[in-house]
Amino acid sequence: MTVVSRPRVLFAAAIAASTLVLLAVLVLVAGASPGEALAALVGGSVGSGAALGETLTRATSLVLCAAGAVLALRAGVLNIGLDGQFLMGAAAAAAVGPLLDGTPNAARLALLLAAAAAGAVFAAPAVWLSERRGVPPVLSTILLNLVAAAAVTWLVRGPLQDRAADYPQSRPLSTSVRLRPLAPGVRTTAAFPVALLLAAGSGVFLSRTKAGLKLRAAGASPAAARAIGLADAPLRAGALLGSAAFAGLAGGLEVAAVTGRLFDPFGSGVGYLGIAAALLGGTGAGGATAAALFFAALGAGSSALQRDTGVPAAVAMIVPGLLVLGVLLVRRRLSGDEA
Amino acid sequence: MSGFLEIALLLSAPLLLAAAGELVLERAGSIQIGAEGNMLIGAFAAFAAGLGTGSSAAALAAGLAGGLAGGAAFAVVAVAGRADPILVGTAWNLVAFGGTAFGYRLLAGATGAVLEVPRLHAGALGLPPAVWAVFALPLLVHVGLRTTRPGLRLVAAGEHPEALRALGLSVVAVRTGAALFSGAAAGLAGALLVVTVSPTFVEGMTAGRGFLALALVVFARWKPLRLLPASLLIGAAGALQVRLQASGGTSVPYAFFVALPALLALLALAVTPGRGGAPKALGAPAP
Repeated sequence: MTVVSRPRVLFAAAIAASTLVLLAVLVLVAGASPGEALAALVGGSVGSGAALGETLTRATSLVLCAAGAVLALRAGVLNIGLDGQFLMGAAAAAAVGPLLDGTPNAARLALLLAAAAAGAVFAAPAVWLSERRGVPPVLSTILLNLVAAAAVTWLVRGPLQDRAADYPQSRPLSTSVRLRPLAPGVRTTAAFPVALLLAAGSGVFLSRTKAGLKLRAAGASPAAARAIGLADAPLRAGALLGSAAFAGLAGGLEVAAVTGRLFDPFGSGVGYLGIAAALLGGTGAGGATAAALFFAALGAGSSALQRDTGVPAAVAMIVPGLLVLGVLLVRRRLSGDEA
Repeated sequence: MSGFLEIALLLSAPLLLAAAGELVLERAGSIQIGAEGNMLIGAFAAFAAGLGTGSSAAALAAGLAGGLAGGAAFAVVAVAGRADPILVGTAWNLVAFGGTAFGYRLLAGATGAVLEVPRLHAGALGLPPAVWAVFALPLLVHVGLRTTRPGLRLVAAGEHPEALRALGLSVVAVRTGAALFSGAAAGLAGALLVVTVSPTFVEGMTAGRGFLALALVVFARWKPLRLLPASLLIGAAGALQVRLQASGGTSVPYAFFVALPALLALLALAVTPGRGGAPKALGAPAP
């Protein structure tokens, strides 16, 4: 991801204007006042310290999933399985979290490594099916998402169930392991800066390292990559597994920093939204992170929107989906090597 | 076991319908990951129309219309607009999931009241005629693709779009027709869920059936007749789950049966090698 001369400001302005128009239409359809809706959206996302904290808390998983989506897309693989890998990361964290005690930082590290590993392991069948059986990862990872959702349903009613709780959920992480808020009265924890750093790191990896260059070459043209002696299959496999580890880590951080446990359903489609952020951000790490922050603000704002004006919070899915469709229509070769 | 068979067929039909639509679109050279979204739109449209009119026929018609609209949107962006169909479908699922949740909340409010729409009347062997009709669809598609002029053109659009163009025919027009057909089929499949299996709307109620339809197409090797046994197998697994749930005497977790169709699909993909049978121009933009 290099800085480009492309008029990014114009693009961002077009996205902002489109968002306002789409939101206005949805608010009018729901029969609410646009002025009150805008106040609720802004107030709920950036209007106060607590609102900003809510946005950044939501952004953590999204930034990581978006970075994971970019990593795979750059290698020419669409990892639709981010959602399932996120769930498996969360499940791993919920499984090992209650067992860990003692030095908090070592325990946290173990927990997050387990989560990242769980995400990658869960994508391994897709790699095998792709390289050995020619099954497109799009198809296998979509199916694995269904398996992951069912696994969560089972885990919180079976092996991980908290017998003391009234409804199905896993045992809580011990408070010493849970990530603490960065400031009193704010929900944001160190998870957010960690996610930002990792996203930036993946951007540097893609644009500034030899391995990143090879990966992008394999993604841009597998045939050309093979012709210059690059083994494109391992590059694609590595990108998919790395992408899945990002999603798994996102799930682990969600448990360690936000929920403290696993329940069912969990996550509400953050993997799919992460792909949308990657596409809106032009499949570059910087753009994807910016889009993820934007979607997170929209998500936090739409909760306030629903509470204050009755306009359904689902606008936070409709708008990203429509924006991506618009961008795909306007720039149909987003995944090209333009960034 | 008539109860078992009945449930198996009821559960197979929406899957088969959506898969048949997807197969037609893929044979034309495009692919719709958003079949799940179109099913949801169909289910929601059927729910809204069924609630408003009290008629299950109106519910089915609304589902069909909703799916058609979804197919048209796909055709504009992914066929005529030549955007990557897989990315378009991914975004479409977000729009459909959010849009139906949005509509449901406005329609039903936040009350949580269970609103039911009328079910289809049962005909032969306890199944509505509309469900039986679905099982004739693979044969119709099979014959249609092999013997009719539109069918042959559709296959050409998926295998040799350049040749079709050289004959002065529009690949975009053919694929647009296929996109409309697949959208309508998915919408109708979603509506069928509402008027046969669960007579209300729940957010995300299609529960991955649209994704399973995609997998069915692959392991049917893009051959319509092979959709029949594949969808019946998955329907039977679902019926087994309903049976075991009802009898209560099972230690097999419910979640296993939810995952079973996806696991069966993955297993089938693992043991039947390759993408053999895939249309040559699958996913490629129209020339």
